[in-house]
Order: sequence, then structure tokens, then C-alpha cells
Amino acid sequence: MLFRKLFQVLVLGGAVVGSATGCSTRADAQTKAGPRDGGSAADAGTAGGGVKGW
Amino acid sequence: MNQALRRLVGEAWAFRTRVEHDAAHRFTRLAAAIAGFDPHSPAIALMERAAADERRHAALCAELSAAYGEQVPEEGTFPDIVPAELSPRAGVLYEVVAACCITETESVATVTTLLAAPAEGRVREVLHEIARDEVVHGRMGWGHLAREATQTDVSFLGRWIPTMLSGTVDEGLFAQVDPELDSEELLRHGVLPHARKRSIFVATLEGVVFPGLEKFGVDPAAGRAWLAARQGAPDPSA
Repeated sequence: MLFRKLFQVLVLGGAVVGSATGCSTRADAQTKAGPRDGGSAADAGTAGGGVKGW
Repeated sequence: MNQALRRLVGEAWAFRTRVEHDAAHRFTRLAAAIAGFDPHSPAIALMERAAADERRHAALCAELSAAYGEQVPEEGTFPDIVPAELSPRAGVLYEVVAACCITETESVATVTTLLAAPAEGRVREVLHEIARDEVVHGRMGWGHLAREATQTDVSFLGRWIPTMLSGTVDEGLFAQVDPELDSEELLRHGVLPHARKRSIFVATLEGVVFPGLEKFGVDPAAGRAWLAARQGAPDPSA
């Protein structure tokens, strides 16, 4: 029950927030969201990480 | 409360102080970065507000840390978590998903669970204040992912979810621990017993984070496999 509610409030609520104001700048070839090359996580210069929380 | 438990609680609040300082720094930086490629995004104002919230939360956590006898930690360094191979815009999305869609979402579930249990007066006040803000912080991350998903291919994130998750929790979360860490008395002081922490973490991934990622076009299969491996279950994708 808690998690269904959290999904509604955070995820579905977020979808509403994300579309609330104006239009996003369409990503072009220079700013397209995606890897710069075809490399894998294993050969990345910085391996990547996560964020510690409570 | 015995001395060992008191120290555990103090350390937990001290750790949270560092987490909140880190989040304040991160949201300030992310707000500026998003403004650079999407100046009309609602995430900009939300992240600026979130940074101020997190500084206030850090002060509250430090107050409780000190009340339980732990020294308030100095602000440390803020390591870069973004893989070097990602473009700047993709890197921002990576960081927002790691910080908000995963970590803030987990925090909301944690604080909500803590608030459902009886707690000491000041602890309860602090949890209430933080809970209200954390909902907004989680939602702004999902909002940024939703917005980016309408403009770019966000599917690249799928293979990075295990990396994000590994950096979010200590491997010890899935190990057996000293019975003291599972004491129900911890709840009264705003700390989840170890087994409860693990079950909330897992249930939040399964019930909120993974379905949320899927909704916006990020395949959670690699994340599910990471979780299954830590729980000692067979890889669901195998």
C-alpha cells in the first residue's frame, strides 16, 4: 500500500511536474542524451557511482 | 538506552548530516547545469529550493547527532559520480536519477516508515519536517526524467542502474549483522533496524524505482539482476 502510494505521489506526480512549464529544448546531435561513444561501463574513464542516502 | 545503542543512533544522524550537505551541494550544481540546456525546466527552481532545504536538514541532523553525543562532521569533499563517457546532458540525467529517483525515493520510504513508529518528541519533529521536503525532492527527479524522456533517448541509463545502486548502499546491507543493529528501540530515535532497512530498500526498488524507470523508457532488468544477486536469488534475466 505504502509503495503504491509512493509510486503515485513521486513517479506519476513527477510526470506532471516535468511537463508543467514550457517546452524542453529539443536535444540535437551535440547534446543528445546518450553515451559519447560506444564504450561500456567497464571501460569508462570514471566508473560511475551512486548517491548515499538515509 | 545503552551506550552502544546511543552511539549507533548518533552515528546515523552524523552520517545523515553528511548526506544532506552533499545533497545541498549537488542540487545547487544541477540547477545551474539544467538551466544551461533547458532554461524553462521547472526542475531548476525546484533544485534551488531543494538545496536550501538540504542545508536546513543538515542543521537538524547535526542537532540530533550532537544530542546523541556524536561530533558533528565537517563538510567533506563531493566526489564526481558521473561516468566519464557520458555527454554533459546525459551526465546530468545520470546524476538526477541516482540522487533523486533512487536515493531521494528511498529516503521518502525510510522517513515514512520511521514516522509510522513511535518516536521521541524532537526526533519526530525533525522527521516530519524532512519528510515533507523529501517528497518534493524525489518528485523533481522523476519530473526531470519524465521531461528528458520526451526529448531524448534515456534508455542508455538502464545499464548504469547497477552502478548507481552499488554506490547507494553498503554491501553490508545484505549481510547478517550484530543483533544490536536490529534492535527495535532504534525506531524511537529515528533509525531503522537493519533488517527493516533492507526490506524497505528492496520493496522501494521493486514497488517504486524499477516500475518508475520502466514507465519512462529505462529498462530496469540490469537493476533487478543486481538486486537478485545481492539477495542470493538466481538472475531473473538468465
